[in-house]
Amino acid sequence: MELNSTLLINQMLFGLALGAVYILMACGLTIIFGLLDVVNFAHGTFYMLGAFATFVIVSLFGNFWLGLASAVIIVGLVGWVTETYLIKPLYGKDPLYPLMLTFGFSVAVTDLMRGVFGTVGQIVPLPQFFSGSLMWGGIFIPKYRVFIILLMLAVLIFLWYFFKKTNLGMIIRAATRDSLMVQTLGIDVPRIWTFGFALGVGLAGLAGGVNSTIQSALPDMGVEITIECFVVVVIGGLGSLGGAILGGLIIGQVISFVSLFASDWSNVAIFITMLLILLVRTRGLFGEAGRL
Amino acid sequence: MKANKENTSNTRTRSRVIWVTLAVFLIAPHIISTPLTTEILIFGLFALGFNLLLGYTGILSFGHAAYFGIGCYGCGIAVRDFGFSIWGGLLVSIIMGILLAAVIGAIAIKKKGVYFAMISMAVAQMFYFMALSPLKKWTGGEDGLKFIPKLSLTFPFHVDLQSSFPLYYFVYFVVGISILVIWRILNSPFGRLLQAIRENEERTIASGYNVTMAKFVSLIFSGLFSALAGGLFFVYLGYGPLQTLFWLTSGTILLMTILGGMHTFIGPVVGVAVFLYAQNKLSWTMERWELVVGILFMALILIFPEGIVGTIKVKYLARKTAAQEVGEAE
Amino acid sequence: MKKISLLLLVAFTGTLFVAGIASAKPIAALLFPLSGPFSAMGTDMKQGSEMALEEINAKGGVLGQKAEVVMGDDEFKAPVAIRKYKEMVDGQGIKAIGGTLSGGISVAVNEWACKNKVLYMCFCHTSIPLGKEQCGYGFVSGMIPYQTGVATAKYAFQNLGKSWMIVTQDYRFGTDELSAWLTISEKMGGKFLGNIYSPLGQVDYSAHIPKIVATNPDILVINVYGQSQDALTKQLGEAGLTTKKMKFVIPKSHLYSIKAAGAGYNENFYGGHEYYWTLQDKFPKAKPFVEAYGKKYGMPPSQDADGGYTGTRALLEAMNAAKTTTDVDKLIKTLKGFKMDYNKGPEEFRACDHIRATSAVIVRGIGAKASGWNFGEVVAEYPASETLESCENNAKDIPYGAVKLPGK
Repeated sequence: MELNSTLLINQMLFGLALGAVYILMACGLTIIFGLLDVVNFAHGTFYMLGAFATFVIVSLFGNFWLGLASAVIIVGLVGWVTETYLIKPLYGKDPLYPLMLTFGFSVAVTDLMRGVFGTVGQIVPLPQFFSGSLMWGGIFIPKYRVFIILLMLAVLIFLWYFFKKTNLGMIIRAATRDSLMVQTLGIDVPRIWTFGFALGVGLAGLAGGVNSTIQSALPDMGVEITIECFVVVVIGGLGSLGGAILGGLIIGQVISFVSLFASDWSNVAIFITMLLILLVRTRGLFGEAGRL
Repeated sequence: MKANKENTSNTRTRSRVIWVTLAVFLIAPHIISTPLTTEILIFGLFALGFNLLLGYTGILSFGHAAYFGIGCYGCGIAVRDFGFSIWGGLLVSIIMGILLAAVIGAIAIKKKGVYFAMISMAVAQMFYFMALSPLKKWTGGEDGLKFIPKLSLTFPFHVDLQSSFPLYYFVYFVVGISILVIWRILNSPFGRLLQAIRENEERTIASGYNVTMAKFVSLIFSGLFSALAGGLFFVYLGYGPLQTLFWLTSGTILLMTILGGMHTFIGPVVGVAVFLYAQNKLSWTMERWELVVGILFMALILIFPEGIVGTIKVKYLARKTAAQEVGEAE
Repeated sequence: MKKISLLLLVAFTGTLFVAGIASAKPIAALLFPLSGPFSAMGTDMKQGSEMALEEINAKGGVLGQKAEVVMGDDEFKAPVAIRKYKEMVDGQGIKAIGGTLSGGISVAVNEWACKNKVLYMCFCHTSIPLGKEQCGYGFVSGMIPYQTGVATAKYAFQNLGKSWMIVTQDYRFGTDELSAWLTISEKMGGKFLGNIYSPLGQVDYSAHIPKIVATNPDILVINVYGQSQDALTKQLGEAGLTTKKMKFVIPKSHLYSIKAAGAGYNENFYGGHEYYWTLQDKFPKAKPFVEAYGKKYGMPPSQDADGGYTGTRALLEAMNAAKTTTDVDKLIKTLKGFKMDYNKGPEEFRACDHIRATSAVIVRGIGAKASGWNFGEVVAEYPASETLESCENNAKDIPYGAVKLPGK
């Protein structure tokens, strides 16, 4: 196996597919932080819930698209409830409280899922037309990974349109800058926050649903990805969607190429990347907190 | 005038509490299981170190397992591969803790609270992965640090650290001294400065204090004692587990500190005692232990954020003030 | 509200004390991961042990009395395991301990048991009889990791092809299997094309697929475990590699992994096991074991259940034979060469290194024909004589410990 341009292009494509999932998660995390000032330590837990939601719906109804959609909806609803009853009571207190609460939430829900679904991985079968790869010369990429990349692009376009062009999107952007003013204008800001949280975790749920076909759905699948998401947003600069995207792309490529050359460092590489970037640019690459 | 009086009576109560605690732990191993009490002391020290940063300075570190783990491995490698004595090993733990805290402080101490939390978590996770895979030759990877000879103390007199009671009292000695040192640190102008930073950072800066330096020093002390606890853990186990670097260790120390009361001095130790005791008894019978822990933690944050000792303190103070007011009215 | 909470708290504390006042005097302490990510396999082990305990008690118990054995949760953490064993040995005078699922934890427990002169019966795949780890107090009712590596490698080079590539999980178990494969490959003329190290916990292998495709080996060895095994199996299927000519060999497979893979675990997949329940068709003693276990627990016994069952039963029978529950030296002497014929034909614990001389089976997938728990067929069984090294070799941890591993 020699190093040639085909191999490098393949690795880059895989890195892109990897990065796509991180981008989805990081955007969700950024929306929640930008709007609510809450760092969601349970983000990976919602990712895991999305994977299981997809598993359950696909097992019951056999339709993958339904499964994916329900991942977003079901997780969004769980997020709605969580924010209303568990996080809202903590607004006004030290910002570390909601952070600690989401941590407790992740421990509890992970174990609850272990109790309900057991610790054996659950399979979500890949739809037939997604199996196999696209080939072109020596370059190949599994069809499903292409789908993930396209899905990410679709979601990003949707988010751009939502925030720039719709009324609700503009309200959210305003509430990120100055929630007091928005409230004075008569808008139910707490409701907006709940919606923002639901949207943010919904994105995590979507990422989980997407990944559920390529890994097995396991209650413990959320833990490590939460930490990886943090690395992504710290690199990109917490509070900036552009940063989330750039951070996700970087992380995807780092993991892909380090796996090729020194696979036993592939776990550590992203942290080292984070530290290097922090040494150079202490606020992260796009670091302007509070800007969507 | 009144404020001063309250201060000194608070201090007196607190020092009474500390002596009572030390006395309790003197006899505790004869009542409750000795290994468990030893662990309570060790994690109690870890929690006190952790709380220096959280409860007193107001900084949340989500990666304190890094200090604990590095202290554990540091002592272990010093003893096993370099022939250090136990005291030497513990000294190595302390130095490693200080160094790590200095590095993390240099990178992240100026950052906003949530950033610091995330970066500290990421750094701890990085250490975990490094110990797991690339540095396996020194750390033993997932097997942990093994092939440790039978441990014993030679100075100032011989203590066999294999048997439960001598081991316990050795740990008790080290932890006891550490508690008194931490008490001294917090009961000084520096300690009051930390609390001022926690209460209102901007005003403290405006008053002319070098807040960044204070935070940095607080982190150093925090890392120092957490690493020392890690070294003691190695001596207690006679083995160095990878578990010490795992993120759940960071989360658990946070939970135990909150449970006990992060705005009190002895709260963290109480939290550790209650939690470890309950875990020891209940996980034999209960499979969904972590679910209970998670729910408990959320309930604490929502309803009793001051924890056991904190809530007791508030009740006690309320009653005292009421009594004082009644006294003054008469 | 707060008063009620206080009352509940006092009641709760009270129950903790009561729970502590235990019952009869136990003669052994067994720990398994009953919570955490491997609780399913830990529970299997516990169930096997429970079944053995009940059978012994039904036949009269140990030394004429009903045997009490404490079984608990080690939470898959070494410090917890050591602490609980310490409490049992210090507090209750127990001299025999058993259990654990993790090879890494077993090594730590073994070291502790040696320092404290306690007999340790390990139920899992472990390296405690090898080299420096062996200290005389440990016994293994599971296997040494390299055994299934040797068995699967022998089968592969005899039947599946010559060129091979391997994805190795970067921990002791993984590198043990890698060493076994490298050694057998050299002996049998295999062609080693490359190794990819995978850190523990890895669940996305997409970055490695191009390399595998480019190398195009006859055989791909899936030497990763737990979630990683599930993920890699799925992703190979996703990339379209599992329905072509490549064969996939898993040195240590598991009932749960095969189930997780579902129809994707087709006729191109071969896995090594210490125990597979369809052996009941071959061994007369296996059938009652499998049926009794199935009746009690609703599923056939996995290799973890077998490890727990055999280890517990042997330990208790040895206590009866040696007429003691606390004289560790006598128990060790009795267990050396102890003969068993429980569920797999006649076996024994080797006198020199305390390992159960048991066979390894190769199970081939049946893909879409799978139903319920019937998703594989046994295609070969390798007795201990073909997979277990001599005692001298084990004591020096050769040849597998001396293999130079690639890329390190």
